[in-house]
Amino acid sequence: MPVLFLNILKVLFIVLLYLFLWQIARAVRANLGPVGSGRSGRRASEIVLIRGGEGKGERVRLRSSGHVIGRSEQADIPIDDPYASEFHARVGLADDAVVVTDLGSTNGTYLNGRRVGNTPTPVRKGDTVQIGKTILEVR
Amino acid sequence: MTRNVEAALIVAASVIAALGVAIVEFAGGAWLDAQVTLTFITFLAAFGGLHMAIRTWAQSADPLLLPVTAFLTGVGFIEVYRIDPRLANVQRWSLLVAAGVGAWLLYALRAEGVAVLRRYRYLFLAASVVLLLLPLLPSSWPLHGATVNGSRLWVRLNLPGLDRALSFQPGEVAKVLLTIFLASYLADRAPAMSVVDRSIGRLRLPEPRYLAPVAIAAGAAFLVLIYQRDLGASLLIFALFVVMLYAATGRAVYLGVGAVLVVVGGVVGYLSFGHVQRRVAGWLHPFADYTDTGYQVAQGLFALGSGSLTGSGLGLGRPDAIPAATTDYIFAAIGEELGLAGTIAVIAAFVLLVTIGFGIALRSRDRFRKFLATGLTALLGIQTALILAGVLRILPVTGITLPFLSYGGSSLLASMTAIVLLARISHEERT
Repeated sequence: MPVLFLNILKVLFIVLLYLFLWQIARAVRANLGPVGSGRSGRRASEIVLIRGGEGKGERVRLRSSGHVIGRSEQADIPIDDPYASEFHARVGLADDAVVVTDLGSTNGTYLNGRRVGNTPTPVRKGDTVQIGKTILEVR
Repeated sequence: MTRNVEAALIVAASVIAALGVAIVEFAGGAWLDAQVTLTFITFLAAFGGLHMAIRTWAQSADPLLLPVTAFLTGVGFIEVYRIDPRLANVQRWSLLVAAGVGAWLLYALRAEGVAVLRRYRYLFLAASVVLLLLPLLPSSWPLHGATVNGSRLWVRLNLPGLDRALSFQPGEVAKVLLTIFLASYLADRAPAMSVVDRSIGRLRLPEPRYLAPVAIAAGAAFLVLIYQRDLGASLLIFALFVVMLYAATGRAVYLGVGAVLVVVGGVVGYLSFGHVQRRVAGWLHPFADYTDTGYQVAQGLFALGSGSLTGSGLGLGRPDAIPAATTDYIFAAIGEELGLAGTIAVIAAFVLLVTIGFGIALRSRDRFRKFLATGLTALLGIQTALILAGVLRILPVTGITLPFLSYGGSSLLASMTAIVLLARISHEERT
């Protein structure tokens, strides 16, 4: 085999390796995007828990994949509230708006006092969401 | 990103593997032959099969896991083929078996998901301990342990009518089972373990009984070191325990205690075992005793050095001069024939794999799945880091395989299982 031919093949092969990795790296970046979305673009929303009306807030930054709120230890935001269901409601983002969805809870989820169904309902800043005896506010 | 992109990337990775084999053939003076086609078909069957399994039983799985895995397996396979075509023929079958087991795992978990693994955690713990001890079986039994290169890691099965013994390294599978056990154990205990109960001065410690798992991990790792003389596996298991404890509790104290125990264990190991002393001597002064303790390290350095920027070209170097070139030292062989460019590509692929793995862990909602994804990713990452550090003379050579690249069916099977579990976890997060 001529040396020149082999050298060209060698360089082509290495270029091919990097082209492949480049494709993967681009896709990985696109996939990871949502995780860090708190920093880029729109201002991140926060869910504030106001437990038992004492106004003691625990702040959770809203992430794009949403949070399931409930009494279960496996909920994203576990709340110690006997009136809440294991997986009570889900707060998430849909088209850049904060939405709340009831997950078939026993006692219902209330947005500004009105019961929310199992379809995503938009929440505006300052609205209160009641789950059992726990009141959440989206800021 | 869709499944179709994944399919295209898998085809591309198969082409890369086949092209590499073709270049090796050209360099040897041969023309295109059956090996090239065979390689392409094997990769397409293995990863295409896994892809179809994911399409059927885990539609929402991360679409990048398989392509990166196929890429790494492909680059490793080319180099194994280049050094020893007979080993490559075995490796092809190992790849098909590993892919088959992976597809079966996806099928088995299709209904209940990885949560079902949590139920069998103590079975997995028992199984991994048994697997780790299996190589100690006396050599006269039909199923017996074997000592290779001073480490007792192998189990051989002599079957009547078969002239070669079937051999495997049970420790490889044990590592994955241990990770599953640890993830479910920590998912149960983590909330209690992250509570700070007592403090000594400014040092805040969790309750002593929650430090017990670290002590047990250290003990288990040390037993492996004593009985099997396997530096790599013992360090890997211990590091995995410590990293998972840290990830589960967010308490840096576990890292600190772990680091102290590694140093203590290292010093005690150095003082009491000849094989550890040989490794350290070869690491610090590879050229002082070039023909003996330093031989492998020195040959590896020569290979990396002669490879320079773009290497000698596939099939044109002498990677067969490095001891264990197809297994522990495959990275040096790649460095010789594909140069710095090739080694950086390999490292970049591992970085991408770890990024994808931790991304899956970050997105997981359930504690068990989060810890499992963290553990499996850490397992692959730590193993890679340890052996690369050994080859590059940053640490003493620990004698473990480079995941996906090294020749060896047990290692490939274990790493593939980890990838399949990660794929399954990522599927569950998106449904």
